[in-house]
Amino acid sequence: MNIKKNTRLIFVVLIATFNIIGCNPVSNQAESTDVKKPFLSTYVATPSESFVIEHATVLTGTGKQLDDTSILVEDGKIKLVGQNFYAPANTKRYDANGKWVTPGIIDVHSHLGVYPSPGIESTQDGNEMTAPVTAEVWAEHSVWTQDPGMQLALAGGVTTFQVLPGSGNLIGGRGVTLKNVFSRSVQGMKFPNAPHSLKMACGENPKRVYGSKGRSPATRMGNVAGYRAAWIKAEEYRKKWDEYTESLDSGKEKDKPKRDLQLDTLAEVLRGNILVHNHCYRAEEMLVMIDIAKEFGYKIAAFHHAVEAYKVADVLAKENICAAMWADWWGFKHEAFDQVRENAAMVDNAKACAIIHSDSAIGIQHLNQESAKAMSAGNKNGLSLEPKDVIAWITSNPAKAMGIAEQTGSLEENKMADIVIWSHNPFSIYAKAEKVFIDGVLKYDRDNRSKQPVSDFDLGITDPQGERL
Amino acid sequence: MRMIIRSSFILLFLSVNFNVAAENFLIKNATIHTASKQGVLDETDVYISDGFIMQIGKNLKIKSKHTLIDATNKHVTPGLINASTQIGLVEIDAASSTVDYTTKNKSQGASFTIAPAINFRSTLLPQNRINGLTRAIVRPVGGSSIFHGQGTAIALLSSSQGMINEVNAMYASYGIAGSKISGGSRASAYMALDKALEEANYLRHNRSQYKPGFDWHFSQSVQDLDALKAVLEKKIPLVVSVHRSDDILKIIALAKKYSIRLILDGASEAWMVADQIARDKVPVLMDPFMNLPSSFESLAIRLDAAAILNRAGVKLIFTGIDFQATHNGFLVRQSAGSAVSYGMPAEDAIKAMTINTAEVFGIKNYGKITVGMDADIVVWDGDPLELTTNPDAVLIKGINQPLVSRATRLRDRYWDLQDIQNKAFMR
Repeated sequence: MNIKKNTRLIFVVLIATFNIIGCNPVSNQAESTDVKKPFLSTYVATPSESFVIEHATVLTGTGKQLDDTSILVEDGKIKLVGQNFYAPANTKRYDANGKWVTPGIIDVHSHLGVYPSPGIESTQDGNEMTAPVTAEVWAEHSVWTQDPGMQLALAGGVTTFQVLPGSGNLIGGRGVTLKNVFSRSVQGMKFPNAPHSLKMACGENPKRVYGSKGRSPATRMGNVAGYRAAWIKAEEYRKKWDEYTESLDSGKEKDKPKRDLQLDTLAEVLRGNILVHNHCYRAEEMLVMIDIAKEFGYKIAAFHHAVEAYKVADVLAKENICAAMWADWWGFKHEAFDQVRENAAMVDNAKACAIIHSDSAIGIQHLNQESAKAMSAGNKNGLSLEPKDVIAWITSNPAKAMGIAEQTGSLEENKMADIVIWSHNPFSIYAKAEKVFIDGVLKYDRDNRSKQPVSDFDLGITDPQGERL
Repeated sequence: MRMIIRSSFILLFLSVNFNVAAENFLIKNATIHTASKQGVLDETDVYISDGFIMQIGKNLKIKSKHTLIDATNKHVTPGLINASTQIGLVEIDAASSTVDYTTKNKSQGASFTIAPAINFRSTLLPQNRINGLTRAIVRPVGGSSIFHGQGTAIALLSSSQGMINEVNAMYASYGIAGSKISGGSRASAYMALDKALEEANYLRHNRSQYKPGFDWHFSQSVQDLDALKAVLEKKIPLVVSVHRSDDILKIIALAKKYSIRLILDGASEAWMVADQIARDKVPVLMDPFMNLPSSFESLAIRLDAAAILNRAGVKLIFTGIDFQATHNGFLVRQSAGSAVSYGMPAEDAIKAMTINTAEVFGIKNYGKITVGMDADIVVWDGDPLELTTNPDAVLIKGINQPLVSRATRLRDRYWDLQDIQNKAFMR
């Protein structure tokens, strides 16, 4: 227990905590240098039958609570959300009387697959702590698709999650957005057309990792010098490649620049094609990072682990940057010392984009519970947050930060039918995800064991003839 | 009867509360989760005087001067206790100068006693108590011996009056953690535990032969073996961190061999051997929120483990949540709520964060709402297991606690973001 606790702490402090997300992609300025894009998504939604969920209390993710409402799903898409509409007689029906329905839950900050369970020496694949800037690594190349944590997250209603590299580096590499589906390949889980993210990290982690090795960065000022030096190189590289690409169109072809994997990624950020997700706890560091983004012309999608977001919520609102937060974690590091339980509520109240994230294979299973606590803390101090608003913290707001809000994150017509049926109001301790649909396919059913997925790892691991759970 | 109990308790405990300005309180019309045989009492009053629960009943008429707390539509529970924390031994885990819960001193294993290090003015005490945690078991972790040392029990008061029992348990690890300390194998860890207990047993019967200046050859230092005497004499329990189901049975057998009081700690796979644990009456200390197979010794961990163990008759004591069980020790309430959501009766879950922990660790006069108990009381604005419930009042030993912490001060400073320049003058 003690050792376990310490291990977990180190995990959190050292490894798990660096992310920056860019909220809104800047418009594409040029073609990607990734001319032949590798590792594309091969995910195909299983052809699904039409169905209608009836008589539900629906939280749309767009700020509405609709009572006694039905949702019609066809071809894996939401076709209709409303009352008293006609569904063809042969349509499958789910009676959700007394139950609540929300969009599929989205976690903007996960390390599933890159720090899988069980945690052993050979599976620590989330932090390439060999240089402070490792923009060339991609989290998806570390993902173990058979991490049993994925099925546990599914039972918590999670349909989409972003897997990020850890926070040991200033720039840790590319993150990837996955559908929570069984696949033999990571490509088979990749969310179609979701942008990559770039994980950046402020504060204690990178300066400790590299300072302890006697190299830069050893201080927060060293951190900032490190980001800026990287962006200067990236800007040169972007310019060279963009000029080359333009020269192809003009007929006067310039010399082809040499490719550099690290700078490929950073140039794509500058072009607005990769979203910046920035692990950053402290208020003043967030404001420094905003200045760096402006200096080099990129956009920050979200600050992660934004423990002090409540101190700068007005700035985050003005800059249109999301704050991804825990409900109540604090004290494991100095930069996590000023946490307040009202953080997310205060950010939301300032009209900034609030997100509850997990950074944990336990927390990802209970994002609804974490949101409930954060809502309740705000309301106890005088706010009037309601489930219809707060559900956005774990659905439409993370979708926005991940650049997938056009496809998922809310129950609107023509969006992916990523849907959860809950036994109770999802902000109750007694609420359980009963049925979870991804692209209109029932991927988890609490009442039907044959509809509860089992990872390769879980098979025969505790009992040769059974499964882990 | 009530009067007799009342006067005897005043005589017995008046000195304890000597310099405490305890008011009298009448809590009216509450739903009371007594954590006792009385179960839940509806629309009932509690009268608190001199730091103790003096009367419980409907429509109590109190003549003495008192403060009225209207608890209509509210719930009352005993103040909660978290059975495994480092509260008072840390401010910031990654700031080593604020950490006292472990030692690198090789001569201190079982003899490492954390009580003197507790900081009752730590920021963790107010943040936990305003959220309903009034007591905590505080324990050492790690170190260089398979025995981590001796823990204590505190009330979350910001003064040394919070010390309850200076030494109330001994801690050790088996399984992965124990084997790592002992050389890399469970077999070495088992031998280390067995040998230490055997030697401690020998030593306590032959102590007079071992005087300073002698050359003694034991597996542990003499001071560590001396510390194990209280375990062998059943004065304190031995809390062993152990997860795999077969490891659990080994440790139960070892405890029987030396006839010691055992508490299984963590016990991820305890539910698989629930009947054996119940038969041997071994309490289980667990966080019911944990369901991640985070190691190869916790593969079978599951969310309904608490419900299964409870049904089998195992006495449960709760901690939670996860690595935040110290800074957010009050979240033991969310862990307990999760256990209920997965099938444990609510009143049993409340006992697992009140009276059960008091009984297992020998904390006197705390843990249930019955006449004569210390008035550790929380008035909740709703179902005490619900996420959206918060405390409206917290009493510790009858003293009303202001619902203020460093975090609420920061919250209030930044609640509006106007006039930032003058925030420095906002106290």
